[in-house]
Amino acid sequence: MPWPKATRYLGKETPRVDGPAKVTGRAKFTSDVAPAGVLHGAIFRSKWAAARVKSVNLEKAKAAPGIKAAILAHEGEFDVRYYGDEIAAIAGTSKQAVLDALALIEVSAEPKDFVVKELDAVKTDSPRVAAGNANLTEGAAKATGDVEAAFAAATAIAETTVSTPTQVHHPMESHGHTVQWDGDEMTAWSSTQGVFACRDIFAKSMNVAQNKVHVICEHMGGGFGSKFSPGVEGALCARLAQAAGVPVKLMLTRFEQGLAVGNRPSSFQKLKLGAASDGTLTAFEIYSIGTPGYSSGANQGGGSGGASFPAPYIYKPAATRVKQGSVAVNAGQSCAFRAPGHPTASAGMEAVLDDLAAKLGMDPVEIRLKNDPNEIRRREYVIGAEKFGWKEKFKKPGASTGPVKMGVGCAGAAWMSGGRGTQAEIQVNADGTVEVRVGTQDLGTGSRTVVQVVAAELLGLDRDRITAHIGDSRLPPSGSSGGSATTASVSPAIFDACENVIAELKKLSGLDDPRGANWKVACAMIGAAPLQVRGKWREGLSTGGAGGVQFAEVAVDTETGFVAVKKILVVQDCGLVVNRLTCESQINGGVIGGLGYALYEQRVMDARTGFVLNPTLENYKMPGAADMPDIEILLIDMPERGVIGVGEPCTVPTASAIANAVANALGVRVPDLPITPDRVLAALGKVPKETATTMAERSREVESAFASVAAAPGAPWVDGNSGCHPYT
Amino acid sequence: MKAFSYVTVQTAASAVELVREQGRFLAGGMDLLGEMKEGLVEPALLVNVKALPGTREVVASPKNVSIGANVTLTTLADHPEIRRLLPGLAQAAEEAGSPQMRNVATVGGNLAQHSRCWYYRQRDVRCMKKGGPRCFARGGENKYHSLFTKTMCLSPCVSNLAVALAALDASVVVQRGANTVTLTLAQLYEKAWTEAKSHHSLAPDDLIVRVEVPVVAGALSVYVKIAEKNDFDWALVSCAAAGRIEGGTFRDVRLALGSVAAIPWQMKEVSAFLEGKSATAETAAGAADILLRDAEPREHNGFKVPLAKALVKRALLALAT
Repeated sequence: MPWPKATRYLGKETPRVDGPAKVTGRAKFTSDVAPAGVLHGAIFRSKWAAARVKSVNLEKAKAAPGIKAAILAHEGEFDVRYYGDEIAAIAGTSKQAVLDALALIEVSAEPKDFVVKELDAVKTDSPRVAAGNANLTEGAAKATGDVEAAFAAATAIAETTVSTPTQVHHPMESHGHTVQWDGDEMTAWSSTQGVFACRDIFAKSMNVAQNKVHVICEHMGGGFGSKFSPGVEGALCARLAQAAGVPVKLMLTRFEQGLAVGNRPSSFQKLKLGAASDGTLTAFEIYSIGTPGYSSGANQGGGSGGASFPAPYIYKPAATRVKQGSVAVNAGQSCAFRAPGHPTASAGMEAVLDDLAAKLGMDPVEIRLKNDPNEIRRREYVIGAEKFGWKEKFKKPGASTGPVKMGVGCAGAAWMSGGRGTQAEIQVNADGTVEVRVGTQDLGTGSRTVVQVVAAELLGLDRDRITAHIGDSRLPPSGSSGGSATTASVSPAIFDACENVIAELKKLSGLDDPRGANWKVACAMIGAAPLQVRGKWREGLSTGGAGGVQFAEVAVDTETGFVAVKKILVVQDCGLVVNRLTCESQINGGVIGGLGYALYEQRVMDARTGFVLNPTLENYKMPGAADMPDIEILLIDMPERGVIGVGEPCTVPTASAIANAVANALGVRVPDLPITPDRVLAALGKVPKETATTMAERSREVESAFASVAAAPGAPWVDGNSGCHPYT
Repeated sequence: MKAFSYVTVQTAASAVELVREQGRFLAGGMDLLGEMKEGLVEPALLVNVKALPGTREVVASPKNVSIGANVTLTTLADHPEIRRLLPGLAQAAEEAGSPQMRNVATVGGNLAQHSRCWYYRQRDVRCMKKGGPRCFARGGENKYHSLFTKTMCLSPCVSNLAVALAALDASVVVQRGANTVTLTLAQLYEKAWTEAKSHHSLAPDDLIVRVEVPVVAGALSVYVKIAEKNDFDWALVSCAAAGRIEGGTFRDVRLALGSVAAIPWQMKEVSAFLEGKSATAETAAGAADILLRDAEPREHNGFKVPLAKALVKRALLALAT
């Protein structure tokens, strides 16, 4: 890789360039944008989990004080498919006026039977979420080798059933837009992971030319996969602004976030894994179902197309049979969610692997070293085990004594990452200052800082000489921030542009090297018109494929069921580190997300009303400061591989490692994520019969659901091709 | 949120006179404003009671501690006399909400707070607390709900302070019309125990003005809770204990459990059982068995039984050490 070896910025620690603006409140987010005369917009949502809407009367709302526009989400009759489905939207001069007017919208609808729980929805007599279609769709079994023979020959077989929750998108900044029309030109301030994607989707949905749409996202408060498009709220906001003839701001509330912005599909997994006496994996079988929401499909690639996920994830047993189903329910639809499919895949696979290790009397690290096909991850297990003190800390499952039991666990991840296609423009002014323009956006990963430090490094300048302009669809194009591809897509384009700058300045100044000490002299040759050059992503500066392993240490209180995570050690391979601070910040965030998946987060649906019972941060529990373990990060720098994104692999193994640590502490597995105190006490056999009966009934339903998946012939297998979830 | 009038009062008598049926008292607002934003309540008038004289003070005498209704939870948690004389109460205050909430939340508001049941708080559910015909938690998602009930409503009392104050045998002074009345904690929540619709026994124009906690020489107190998170989370179960340890035996010990009933759950029988018994894990387990004897676990809340027993044991042993 042609990246410089001796560096001033690359691989070093640079604080976020926009950090001071963010912590002082000067940074302008979408909700801070207030063009003159801006109206407040809000969405009128279904109170039915399923209904046929016959008509919607907006007249009274339109006539209410302060209301300037009211529009329908659909023309004619239509079905609402979940509690929170969009029906109409209004805009008015104050938030209060809009809230009052929402209550005046009249809907004529025929409520329909609905089903919100996966295990109910797979039953043959369940209400159909989409009329005429079965709720359960499944791919054909995908098999390699003779699975029966392989299990028959196995020395040890582990059978493990696990479940993972529907994890809801709750970025700190809610979803929303401010839209302003000027004739047929539209400006949108969007909280988005993709300013260009938003531009194109707005252009299509509003039927205007792409060059008439301008999308701006200077700062945004997280997306995690849920802000790739403007969403229904974006389209409604644009239409409201058009109808009102003045700008409209439409930010969703936390309540709406809990219903309608996307989630990670749930899963129920029945896994079976066999090994030879030396621990070599020989046979694997999985049946799974989960719900992606109201719309199901047989996409088998994981991601957001269905509820399927990669199996047997990162391992390669010789014989495998995989059969996965997705079941529709009357609830909000899933979408991409940080490392789509992978944490779910990891939760099952790493669990059954540890259970198998216990049967074989093998150390969990040993069985991974034996079976992990990836050389880098094997190396990371060795490094991590040493750093973590694994040999001293690991005891046989359940061996810890006393009411509070200590346990340790580990797990690995794989992610494709990659990234390409970015273009960048660099403008050098006669005073030697530099402006770098690139149409990426900062999802929270520190993109603006990345742009600045790469340019500073290659031009040999202090970074404060360089201004980075990002977050605007009128800048040179860059892709959406997803798939852990942003830094690896943006950095090479800056590199290329910097090379072109240097070439131009050489010509202009006659200097051999216009960088560093010569910079001022060279720039003095620039005339009244600043020097502008372009660059674009090219091969050889970045690559894909990041693994990583994590170790967890937990203390489980067997009297109260409370799990305290004491320590997470992350060993993460990462190619060339561009900025160590933001890289580690990404990993901290990934671990915290995984901690939420392991211990706290789950959407709770009510079967009888069809409502989400926890559409608030009071009851949809996310990790807080007091819940943080000691997070230690070991970056395995591989500058020779170029830039590789790590935003997603770092969230994959956290929950699995924690769940394995809990199983190690207790000597029994808590099969369901999140591992809440009630589930720990249940796994220990401490709950009275009333609740135990409910749980036994649920287990029977789970078994019956797996039987449905196993029995169904299934549609032809479709391999995932979204590019953000291939795995190795 | 509907438009409302706002008035600040200087006397408790004028507060209760003004508030009548359609108004609500406003102190810290932690509970009330949440309910208003969700459209659960639509008061026509907010009567700001924060300026009432004498309601922000903690006054300790040899016989008792008087705590004004407007004392914040932060003050309560940090107050040196409370920490010295009533540590269980300080712990209960410290465990409520987040630091930002404790800075504004008041003693009166914490005691008078409404149900946190997620069916009650859901804007589109019309449950028994809202005058509807059924309790949705029965046969529904009742993981966070009561083990002990007299009515069909399964919503538990989740006030940390109520649990600690019940164990401390405190009384609550309430402005009722032109007079004040004094209620025990049991009386303060009695109506929630007997009427599904009620959150507590206070009428809309009853105003908590202060809490009186007796000070007993040599008395100890403790509060323990387990939530799903380490901080800023409601108790799954909480337990307070107060009393004396003499010669290694329990004396005049009172226990109370939170989040298991519409009232702080107490049994006189438990105090009688503990009286004079040696302060050991076995005695504590015996007390826990009595206190949980009549529990009626539901589909999803059975875990509260072993959890409550564990907390009773820990509270009693903490008292003894």
